Amino acid sequence: MNDKLVTVLADVFGLRREQIVPQLTKDDVGNWDSLKQMDLVVSLEREFGVELEIADIITMTSVEKINRILKAKGVDLEA
Amino acid sequence: MKLDGAVSLITGGSKGLGLAIAHRLRAEGARVIVADIDNVALEALPDVFDRRSLDVTQPDEAKSTVEAIAAMYGRIDVLVNNAGVIYSEPLVNLMNPDGMMHSYDRFRQCLRVNLDSVFIMTSAVVEQMVLRRTKGVVINISSISARGNEGQTAYSAAKAAVNAMTVTWSKELGRLGIRCNAVAPGFVDTPSTRAALNETIIKHIEGLTPLRRLGRAEEIAQAVVAAIANDFLNGTILDVNGGVTI
Ligand SMILES: NC(=O)c1ccc[n+]([C@@H]2O[C@H](COP(=O)([O-])OP(=O)(O)OC[C@H]3O[C@@H](n4cnc5c(N)ncnc54)[C@H](O)[C@@H]3O)[C@@H](O)[C@H]2O)c1
Repeated sequence: MNDKLVTVLADVFGLRREQIVPQLTKDDVGNWDSLKQMDLVVSLEREFGVELEIADIITMTSVEKINRILKAKGVDLEA
Repeated sequence: MKLDGAVSLITGGSKGLGLAIAHRLRAEGARVIVADIDNVALEALPDVFDRRSLDVTQPDEAKSTVEAIAAMYGRIDVLVNNAGVIYSEPLVNLMNPDGMMHSYDRFRQCLRVNLDSVFIMTSAVVEQMVLRRTKGVVINISSISARGNEGQTAYSAAKAAVNAMTVTWSKELGRLGIRCNAVAPGFVDTPSTRAALNETIIKHIEGLTPLRRLGRAEEIAQAVVAAIANDFLNGTILDVNGGVTI
């Protein structure tokens, strides 16, 4: 997984890095609520230089979906 | 005020913080009337308590219950406005795209049970205090959320307004010898807290609290008793929160 993305997710949700896996969804994370979602959006936009639409923000409910949305925005997550 | 023999009405006293306050007042020798909407929980209370079924959001019901209590005991010395419902909903909920904004109905409902109820009960009881020239005490159970707590628009607004009414009434009623104070708990280990917050958030709150733990219901009850007993305490919002800031 992309190192920067793991750092963002671990920081926002207060998780250990090894807990961040593509299968992780909002239901696995106790504090992944609307306010954390806003923190996540701000961090992703800052770290990856993208601007997320409201449709993207609502869809981002798992690590796999975040990966997919960032790739669609042209972010190279393999780097 | 001497608590021994004081006729004390506590709303929402059949569970949680209210029950701890009721027990503590009883232990100090007060005559305790518990008013609650939950008849099952009321039934389960020991009969050292005078138990009254009451919805504190209904002005007519509140007035007639209070009049009946005052007639029976000759006066009401203490009102503890404890009944309330902790309610969390952010203004914008990104996780619920079909209903993203805070519902106005739920906002009003939260204000009705946490704010209107305090006005309704205090009006009914203070009327009896004034008519019977009782130098009584009103204690409002506020919350640390009155400072503004993210995820709690309505509840924070209700508790902030309760604080404002507390100070207002302390000024208006002080000349009649009626005192009014609030006790503002932080995060207390009650079933309602456990239901409102998940384990991760509770751990986070404990970490933010200088004393590194949640409060105990008895510690809130202790503060309520102190605020009743001290005859020079008026218009105070007493924080009981382990030093946590939000
Ligand atoms: N538990 C906490 O950590 C905490 C923190 C800060 C403030 N508070 C405040 O303390 C008070 C008590 O909270 P609690 O945690 O013990 O909650 P609780 O839910 O355990 O008890 C509340 C009681 O109020 C009663 N009630 C609710 N609506 C009523 C109505 N319309 N008429 C009559 N009775 C009604 C309920 O039946 C219940 O017995 C509330 O005002 C709450 O806002 C609690």
